Parts: sequence; C-alpha cells; structure tokens
Amino acid sequence: MKVSLFITCLCDVMASDVGKDTVEILERFGCVVDFPETQTCCGQPAYNSGYVTKAKESMKQMMKAFKHSEYVVSPSGSCVAMLHEYAHLFKDDPEWKEVAQELANKSYELTQFLVDVLGVEDVGATFSGKITYHRSCHMTRLLGVTEAPYKLLKNVKGLEIVDLPLCEDCCGFGGTFAVKQPSISEQMVKEKTEHIAETGADYVVGGDMGCLMNIGGRLSRDDRQVTALHITKILNSH
Amino acid sequence: MSIQNRESFLNNVADQLGRKRRSKGVTRPQYSVEPQWRVFEGATQDELIDKLEDQCRVIHTHFKRSTMDTLTEVISQSIEENDGHAVVAADDKRNDEYGLTSFYENLHDEGVAFHLWDPSKGRENIQFAERADVGITFSDITLAESGTVTLFNHQGNGRSISLLPRTYIAIIPKSTLVPRMSQAVRHIHKAHADGVDVSSCVSFITGPSNSADIEMNLIVGVHGPVKATYIVVEDM
Amino acid sequence: MGIKIGNAPFRDRVQEGIENDFMRGAVSSAQGRFRSGRLKAAEELGDWEDWRTLGEEIRSHTLQNLDYYLEQLSEQVSKRGGKVFFAQTAEEANEYIRNVVQKKEAKKIVKSKSMVTEEIGLNETLEKAGAEVVETDLGEWILQMDEDPPSHIVTPALHKNKEQIRETFASKKGYKNSDLPEELATFAREQLRKEFLSADVGITGCNFAVAESGAVTFVTNEGNARLVTALPETQISVMGMERLVPTWEELDVMVSLLTRAAVGQKLTSYVTSITGTKQEDEVDGPEDYHLVIVDNGRSKILGTEFQSALHCIRCAACINVCPVYRHVGGHSYGSVYPGPIGAVLTPLLDGYDDHKDLPYASTLCAACTEACPVKIPLHEHLVRHREIIVEKEKKAPRSERMMMDGFAKWGSHPAAYKLSTKMARKALKPWTKEEVIQSGPGPLKGWTDVRDFPAPSEQTFRSWFKTRQKGGRS
Repeated sequence: MKVSLFITCLCDVMASDVGKDTVEILERFGCVVDFPETQTCCGQPAYNSGYVTKAKESMKQMMKAFKHSEYVVSPSGSCVAMLHEYAHLFKDDPEWKEVAQELANKSYELTQFLVDVLGVEDVGATFSGKITYHRSCHMTRLLGVTEAPYKLLKNVKGLEIVDLPLCEDCCGFGGTFAVKQPSISEQMVKEKTEHIAETGADYVVGGDMGCLMNIGGRLSRDDRQVTALHITKILNSH
Repeated sequence: MSIQNRESFLNNVADQLGRKRRSKGVTRPQYSVEPQWRVFEGATQDELIDKLEDQCRVIHTHFKRSTMDTLTEVISQSIEENDGHAVVAADDKRNDEYGLTSFYENLHDEGVAFHLWDPSKGRENIQFAERADVGITFSDITLAESGTVTLFNHQGNGRSISLLPRTYIAIIPKSTLVPRMSQAVRHIHKAHADGVDVSSCVSFITGPSNSADIEMNLIVGVHGPVKATYIVVEDM
Repeated sequence: MGIKIGNAPFRDRVQEGIENDFMRGAVSSAQGRFRSGRLKAAEELGDWEDWRTLGEEIRSHTLQNLDYYLEQLSEQVSKRGGKVFFAQTAEEANEYIRNVVQKKEAKKIVKSKSMVTEEIGLNETLEKAGAEVVETDLGEWILQMDEDPPSHIVTPALHKNKEQIRETFASKKGYKNSDLPEELATFAREQLRKEFLSADVGITGCNFAVAESGAVTFVTNEGNARLVTALPETQISVMGMERLVPTWEELDVMVSLLTRAAVGQKLTSYVTSITGTKQEDEVDGPEDYHLVIVDNGRSKILGTEFQSALHCIRCAACINVCPVYRHVGGHSYGSVYPGPIGAVLTPLLDGYDDHKDLPYASTLCAACTEACPVKIPLHEHLVRHREIIVEKEKKAPRSERMMMDGFAKWGSHPAAYKLSTKMARKALKPWTKEEVIQSGPGPLKGWTDVRDFPAPSEQTFRSWFKTRQKGGRS
C-alpha cells in the first residue's frame, strides 16, 4: 500500500523523531512510504486565528503537494482534522472543490489508519513503564478518533496504562491561544500537569505534538519527573 | 390593541430570513428520529408504578400505595406524619368516587382545619392555603420516568394548593400512569386540535421544590413545598 | 445594566477571575457536578445522540418559520385574554413594561429568574420609575442585594460562597443564623413569601412558548416562577423572540433536553405552562396578562451563518464543560451571557467594539459543541467571529497581521518553507540552553512566560528522509 506522509510543521522542525518512528511503523506493516517534498503547513495557525484568506494559500499548497497520493497519513489528529475541513472551506470554489474533498477523504491520523484501514491493533511493540494518555481535543472531537490509540496502547507489552483524571479537558494549547492568552493557558496547563503528576505515571503520551509541547514544557518548567512522549515512540519500541 | 407592533416586527423577521412573510401553510416536518416514544415502550401499568417508585427516591418524595378502600387511611396517616393541622384540598369531581368528600368533612372532628377550594370565596382560598400545612390534589396524568404529576388547574383546583403549603400530597390513580411527558403532551396537543379548551395553567410537578444556588448544595424545599408524598391508588 | 457588565478591559477581568480562588474552587466543583449529572442523564436515556438530533431539527424548523409561529403564538395568547407586545429593541420592551406597571400604580414587583430581562436591563428601568423590584430566585435575590451581575445562566450566584451569602443576609436583612445552606434557604423562603403575597405585578422570563396554544412555559426547581405567576393580579412574561416551539409535542422534547443538559434531572421540580389570563371563576393566576416578545438584535442573526446560535435553549451545558470558563469565571466575559455561548452571542447582539476579545477566549477544544443539546457548532462560530474581526472589522493587532502575512508566504512557498525549517535551530540558538528555551524572543515570549519551549530537532525530518532515500539509512 502506498502512503504519503504528512509530517506536520511541528514534527518536521521540533520533533523529527516522530516522523522517523511513523515511517518505520508504517513500513513494518507493508506500506511504501513517500514524502511529498512540497508539503508545508495545514494552515491551522492562521485559520484558527481568523486569517482564513491567508490560511487558504497554505492549504492550496498542501492540496497540490498531495494531489497524487493514494493515502495521506500523519502523526497528528489536529492537523488531519484541518485537512478534513478543507472540503467545507473550498466547497464553493470550483477550482479546488474536488481536490479538497479528495484530500479530506484520503487523509488519516496514524493510529486511525493503523486500526481502521490496516486493521492492526497490535503493532508488536514492547515498552516498559507506566503511562497515562492525553486524549487531544481535535483528535477526539473534530476527527472522532477516540478508541484507536487506546486499542494500540493496550497491546504494547510491558506497558501499564493509568487513567488521567479530567482527561476530557483541554491542556490549554489551542495553537495561537497559548501565546495570545498566556495567563488563561497557564492555568489550564497547570491543572493538566497536576492531574498528570497525580497519576504517578512516568510518561504522558499523546498523539498531537502541539499538546505535548505545551504539557511537556510545563512539566519541564516545574521540574516534574514525568516525560511527555508522542505515541509513535511507544509504538515503535521493541 | 391586544397585539401591538406585530406587523413591522414579523415583516422584519421574514426579510432577515430572506423570503416573503409566512402566515399559513407551514406544517411540522417529519422528524428523522423520535426517541421519546421508545422510553418504557410496552410497559404495563404495574411496571410503570415500579418505575415511579424508583424515581421517587431520586426526587426526595415519599411513595405510598393504597387500594380504593385504604386510601383515606393512607391519606390520614400522611397528614399526621407531616404534622398537618390545616389541610387544603382541590374540589375534584373524583372526590366522591374515592370516598374523600366524607373523609374531608370528618377531618374537622379530628381537630384538623380543612378547606375545600371554593372559587366563590375568592382570595380567602389563597389565604387558607398559605397557612395550611398540607395541600392535596389528584394527579391528572402521571409520568413514570420523571416521577411527575400533571395538574390541569381549574376553578376547583387552584394553583396555590400544590404550591403554598409545606407538604404536598398527590393522589395518583393507577390509571393515570404513562411512561413519560410525551404521552401527556400528546393528549394536550390532541385536545387542542379538537378545539377542547386546555387549562389556563398546566403544572408538571416533580417532588418538592429545591435549589442548588448556594455552593451547589442541594436544598430540598425552597419556595414551594418542602415535602411531597405520592399515593398511588389501585383504581383498575 | 444591560448585556454588557463592567467596563474593565478583558485582560484585567481575566486576571481578576484567575486570582479569585474561591470562585475558581466553586466553579470547578460545580462543573464536576454538572458534568457528571448531564452524562448520567444522557446515559440513562441511552440514545442521547438521537435526542440531540431531534432537538436540532426542532430548533432549526422553528427558526426557519419564526414569523409564522410568532404570529400563531400571539393570536393564541390574545384569544386567551392576554396582551402581546412585540418589542424591536430593549428600550421598547422596557418602555412598554414600565407603562403597564405605572398604569397599575404598582409599588412592588416580584420577578423570577430571566436572562432576557438581565439583557435588556429591565430592573433599572422599573426602579427608576419608582417601583420596588424583588428578584425571587434564590441566587438572583442574593445578587440583587449585592448589586452583583450573574456569572452563570443557570446558577447565577455560583461565584459566591455561603459565608459571603450569610454576610449579605445579615447586613441587608438582619439575618442572625448560621451559614448552613438549609438555614439560609429557610430564611429566604420566609422573607420572600411576604413579597409574593404583597406584590402587585409578577414578571417572568420564558423558557418556551407553545405557538399552537399560547402556553408560556417556565422550567424551575425552586417554585418561585409558580408563585410569581399564581399570586399577583398582573403578570408580564418577557421572552426572547426565538424561545418558542410549534406544538406541545416539541415542548416535551425541548424541556427534556433542557433539564437533562442543564442539571441532569429528568424534569425539574416544576414545569409550568400558563396560557393568557386566568379563566372565569379561577381564584389564582393573573387577571391581566402581558407577553412581551423581544428582538433586541436577534433578527440580525437570522439568515446569517450564525443563525444556529439562536437555537440556544440556555441550558449552560457549554459553560459547564468549558475549560476556559473553569479558570476565569463568568464575570470575565463582561456579558450577562458568559462561556462559549456568551462568546458567540454577545458580539452578535451587542457588536464587536466592546466584545472583540470574547471569540479568542477559547482553545477551540470543541467541548462546548460536543455538549450542546441542540448541536450548535459553537467552536466553529468562534472561528467565524475571528475571521470577521480580522478580515472584515480589521480589528486584529498590526504585529499579528504582519506575522500572518509571513505565514501565508511561508506556507505557500515550499522552498522558503524548507529553508526556514532548516534554519530554525540555528535561529533559536542564542536563547537555547541544554536543549531548552526558557525565555524566548518575540511571539515566543507568551509561550516561555509560562512553560519551556524545546529546542528544534538537530536534523529536520525532511532532511533525514532525503538522506535515507539516498540509501544512507540512519
């Protein structure tokens, strides 16, 4: 199966390991992974800030970059939710309407792709440690991916998973919200990291780099002994 | 003069909706789902009574059962339990049938001040209800799911009876039980469509009054009754 | 007071909220109770999503045919002896109600909780006209004594604790007992009973009016709305023009959704529907009944992409799940309508000038949209507001506009994009210590003020992938 990786701007620059792990996981299940070089950013930072016209410039570039892909897979629920939104945003644009819909139809978040498309629930990974899972808002509420990450994590050998209190609450990232409303964002991430610490987990695991940078940044600021990890790190451990 | 400013107001609404004013020809759509009819679908009257009993625990309401023969005894007991020295009751056409007329008349002999709601006495009724410890009415339709009695208030059944006294007692004929509000409103909807005058006040009452306005603590009994008792009567 | 409460800038209001420890404790525990109540009620139904779908269909049909149903409603109320006044603005509504009150030479008015009368600032108007207005909802009564605006649309005094309430009762009403909620409530019952019995006019809001029969419905727990409608001889109901349903059958569905979404109850203690004046020979109920239907900016929302905001049934489910409201509290929003629905509705009713910060008081986490019993896409409306603020109103800060200009170029030019990804690590080097940035430059400052920022990866993903493809597996 041919799969194009959408790396996301955050993982490309800030967490390239996430991309490496994603490629290796996909290859392990027989995917031929390519990386369309002209991909940029899904446009979400501008779109969610109200700069829709400007966001669309980036979106068009993305549609061009993935035009010929069979599947587009990405290690981010939030960015994939944005790709899905293209269908709605370009529905009145005759030039882009169809390609936007096509991109929406063929784009998947990684765990969603593994479970729903490849039918894999056990990736054969081993990881020893106690983790708690942060279910990111866009992955669960906008993309509707709620079960896939748990299914995959449950089958990882050596892994102990503990529940995170108030797991439904946002961590306070919210893209530009984190820098536009730092005082509110601070209270949110403070409460989130307190709940994480309460669980006694060694790691907090998630599927969106934005949330993980926010949570990890606060854990680090407060010198807490918990590490934020992208789910790909666990799924690609042996 | 009983309706003012309507034309300009509604014309503006139509303008904003981007179409001509609609004064007729609107029918309700066929809704894609109707989950309300699935609640307790096919339940028997006895099953509905059990549901009602369960729900009474949730709504802080005493639940009692009686037969036609034991009803007055159960009411008498309930009045006593609630320290009822003054009782107000609705003038309901069912009072005779359920043996309540003579029961109420005899309350005086037991030292209980009793008042039967009487429209000819005007606001005196309200003054008595305000002093009364217990108010008693029949339920017209009873909703098992929520534990709700429905009252069609009328001349003989003043709004104050179920509202002003500290304790409210509802007499619930078993035959009045339905699964939920849906059956009650369908009855009202149909009555209205048939040109039957529906009551000027329909009260759906679910247990005693309560509030959570102070630190989200549930306080049972605020402006309305502080206690409620439901007595289900085997009438079938 | 009107829809806008307070003049302090948004940033200051938020700071005040964040620093109010009691309020935050109260809000988070209240949110906990509200949330579990709503989820339990939804679970008991088993098919909550079907109920939401039905709720949305009903609201949508009603709003699409609003003129038809309002006309029907007004005919029915009038047939049952009521008077109906259509008020285009808050001023018209207040003026009409003041006239009714003055004609009756009313000295005392009892009110049950109503958000629309808060919105139009009715109490102020009536007090200026010399009438004594008594709020009878326990929470509202407390706030009225303290001259404090509501901070939640279902439990308006959520931000106050029992010690504060005891203090208020003591200083304003001579209360001498403890701060036990039961004792406080008993005191309120005694005090307010006198008010109900001596009031000349009762004023209520309206949860839903039934177009087919003219019934105006109140959904309450305390019983005060029943007292307000049963005892005074004159009664005035004030409704937002969108608060109606076609028939009794839809009333059932909407009330079922409201009580479950708001407080997790199957029904509240009282759902009371009154139609026009009392009948001949009836003792209690109003002799004189008025229904005031208020537009006050609502019609401007019709026919726009925000129309579904008018589907709102004021249950506060969105407020109860909102993680931003949780930390800043209701007063931070500067509107009688706080939380996500407030952030959507307030700028629509009152313009962007005073409320342009509200659409940004959200992480777009969509918890609100998920909780809404009538499926209003609240977080999407917030994005639309931001788009209007940026692109139409041009109210965005210059520095942000420039940054977004840069974003558009970056996102649409792969070569420039690639170069910047390559440069990122180097560019941030001066601020990086042991792979962490603790105090970043420019826009990063907002980030590093409250948390660390990691150093960019040593090698970008794309350069790793390229090397690997060339056979140099890493």
